[in-house]
Amino acid sequence: MSIILEAKGVSKHFGGLKAVEKVDMQVKEGSIFGIIGPNGAGKTTFFNLCSGTYKVTSGQILFGGQDITNLPPEEVAKKGLIRTFQNIKLFQYLSVLENVKVGCHINTRTSVFDAIFHTKTYHQDEEYATEKANRVLEEVGLTEYKDWKAGNLPYGYQRKVEIARALAAEPKVLLLDEPAAGMNPAETWSLLEFIQKIRDKGHTIVVIEHDMKFVMNLCDYIMVLSFGEKICEGTPDMVKNDKNVQEAYFGRGIIQKSNELNQEGA
Amino acid sequence: MSQAKHFFEKHRKLAVLIGIGILIILPQLTRSNYIRGVLARIIVYATLASGLNIINGYSGQSCLGIVGFTCIGAYSGAILTTELGLPFLASLLITLLLCAAAGFVVSLPTLKLNGMFLSIITLGFSEMMRLTALNWQKLTNGPLGIKGIPNVELFGWKVKSGAPFYYLALVALLLVVFILNRLLKSRVGRAWIAIREDQDAARSLGVKVSHYRCVNFMTGAIICGTMGVFIAYYYRYVSPDMFSLDEGFNVLSMCVVGGSGTLFGPIAGAFVINLLTEGFRFASEWRMVMYAVLIITMMWVRPQGLFGAKDSVIAGQMSFWNFFAKKNKKKEDGDVNHIGG
Amino acid sequence: MYIIQQLINGLSQGSIYALMAIGYTLIVGVVGLITFAYGEMVMIGAMSAYLFYTFVCPNFFLGILVAFASSGIAGIFIHKVAYERFLEAPKHISLLCTVGCSILIKNVAQIAFGSQGNAMPMAFETKPFYLFGTDLYITTIHLAVIAIVLILSVGLSLFLHKTRVGLMLRAVSQDKMASSLVAINVKKVTLIGNIVGTGLGGVAGLLYGTYLTNVSTVFGTVVGLKAISACVLGGMTNIPGAALGAVLIGILENFGIALFTSSYRDIFAFIFVFIALTFRPEGLFVFQFGRKGKGGKKA
Repeated sequence: MSIILEAKGVSKHFGGLKAVEKVDMQVKEGSIFGIIGPNGAGKTTFFNLCSGTYKVTSGQILFGGQDITNLPPEEVAKKGLIRTFQNIKLFQYLSVLENVKVGCHINTRTSVFDAIFHTKTYHQDEEYATEKANRVLEEVGLTEYKDWKAGNLPYGYQRKVEIARALAAEPKVLLLDEPAAGMNPAETWSLLEFIQKIRDKGHTIVVIEHDMKFVMNLCDYIMVLSFGEKICEGTPDMVKNDKNVQEAYFGRGIIQKSNELNQEGA
Repeated sequence: MSQAKHFFEKHRKLAVLIGIGILIILPQLTRSNYIRGVLARIIVYATLASGLNIINGYSGQSCLGIVGFTCIGAYSGAILTTELGLPFLASLLITLLLCAAAGFVVSLPTLKLNGMFLSIITLGFSEMMRLTALNWQKLTNGPLGIKGIPNVELFGWKVKSGAPFYYLALVALLLVVFILNRLLKSRVGRAWIAIREDQDAARSLGVKVSHYRCVNFMTGAIICGTMGVFIAYYYRYVSPDMFSLDEGFNVLSMCVVGGSGTLFGPIAGAFVINLLTEGFRFASEWRMVMYAVLIITMMWVRPQGLFGAKDSVIAGQMSFWNFFAKKNKKKEDGDVNHIGG
Repeated sequence: MYIIQQLINGLSQGSIYALMAIGYTLIVGVVGLITFAYGEMVMIGAMSAYLFYTFVCPNFFLGILVAFASSGIAGIFIHKVAYERFLEAPKHISLLCTVGCSILIKNVAQIAFGSQGNAMPMAFETKPFYLFGTDLYITTIHLAVIAIVLILSVGLSLFLHKTRVGLMLRAVSQDKMASSLVAINVKKVTLIGNIVGTGLGGVAGLLYGTYLTNVSTVFGTVVGLKAISACVLGGMTNIPGAALGAVLIGILENFGIALFTSSYRDIFAFIFVFIALTFRPEGLFVFQFGRKGKGGKKA
């Protein structure tokens, strides 16, 4: 399996603040890659660097071997890297179907001329967009809500619409920023299965998450960030047992205490 | 009232046909040539407002100075006719290209910036155009303006003022609305609306914001500029003070009051504002004050305008009911600012 | 020689614009909203000073207070109408409200006072000082203008950095949410910021009228545009940058008058801003690192 998304020594400094510092990442095609870390670790900043929302201070980002460092977000999206946002950026007032249709923008070509004169391109694109949007909604299981205003849906469904919209763009790699935020355990589990289904269809997925159970059960490979630096990476088991990760999450004092207690008990 | 609205939303096509029918028979309902002239002017302004609405209501940009393009269009039409003797359609075409170029140039600086910057640039641009018209005496005759613009002549047929001019303007309006409708219901329109609703989300889906903003602005500029030619032929005279910023706010209030974000809004606005103007003839200096009060009231009570896009960022999060709710809340609110708004 | 004279003129004119730009940038920074009613604030200051000098007494310094106060009060009106409700609404709503206010104020003033130019009564003598025995001269007006702008700028800086209220203004301009979390009354602070900003604009109007010896009710629009342009050149929330941009505009205008005719004066300012924004949209004097931001403030 080839490396489809790679970061080499990527750093982002805001003046004196080192939000991301020399992070390397290699995501294998067709895998589910997790990025975890305590709050403020720089995970979303890192996503923003990959997707072109921020410019890197130094380092390189490669997508399918191509250098995409510092490309504007729309160019990155065109290459096949689509992201979702931590606080769900749906077009609140548009219908669910219209939201997903916007996702079809990348793969359609209608220009102003085509639109005014209803050329063949226009008709082809409209057919494609409608058909694709409906199909994606069916796969996601939201067909009955397609005419609802997106902002009126319950939170968990809104998240799914955002992912559906991203899927309509036929991404090679999907960057999901805290997709399980605000979900109850049942919704979280359904989301987990949903993401696995997306992976089975051939997409590569990178996920930022806080929910440990979710991440450990879902991801093939995990990277841990803390204060902008990578402190560990590996399979879920490796990460679970890593001392640095435990310290980052629970603090050195507690780890030492728990070690002492374990030794006393033994 | 809302039952009628419901009816119109369900039977769109029928409503449109009825509307067009009304517009066609309107001038026949009166014998007064003066009223027919007013109606013609309303149609011209409705088209102008539609052009402005495309910018303000569909791409999250805020253009405050389309009068600059109208000025270019009117003077272009006037000069091409009086100096070069070009027929109406020819000057229309040349003006169209001229305004497209101007629109492109004006939008350039702000493509990468916040949509609010366009408002500053367009104001400055409009003032520049007016000052140029005022001072470039050789081309524009300066403050005296250009007189003696003839009647429109189409294929040998003289379009006199009154009902004939009304129908000519109506053709323009319907054509413009038809084209805009086709644009809005396509990938282009979806991109515009996506940019308006959430620019970052749009970019993350591959929508090239700078490109679409430019196309959008050029569309508005072309419409407003080309209608400037109509204005020249309507008044048969152009002068710089017809294109001051205040006149531009005239059109702006049509979009604000009538509604932005829908195709019908600006047309309704043109009727409302022009009828109010006619009604206020006895106190014409208060005309602008009235526009101002209308704009402010609209922003307070119904930001999307009377017939505007309720389901859009344009409407803000304030509805009519919120207005009253907030008023009552004031007393308990105390001093601390309400987080989250 | 002529060029240096124009430079002197430009500096004086520029410092008037600078005072406006400073006031404007303060408002944009603290309130977080762009306004198009600022030109009318300048006009109110000029007209009220003119009325004061003509009908009460030609005391220059009292006139400054009158100008500041009347524009400040107008600022309260603008705040109530266009800012208070809309601090967290989509930006175009407050923008259009300020447009409405601008039209309202300008036209009501025109109805009340007419749109003709009025000679500004000179509150002190205009004496030219010839420099180094050349033809170059600086008048008392040049000196007064530059002096007042400097004093007010320093005063503003002290106010912002050494007083508690100034600290609150700076806090609100950086982050409204955080400010409210530390019990700062954001609405009241934006009101204060607006009053100070419009008040400074009013004084600038007085200086403008004094410098040009002429006030009217209609000069607000163009002058307001220049204030906004200077603010944009400075990078939107950068007070010294805006002042610098304003001085540049003043100097360029005067050179433009020297090289071409004076009727095209305003066009030079706009063309300059246009070109500057095309090539440096983030502002001329901004050295920002960090996020790939577009121009304009993050609310």
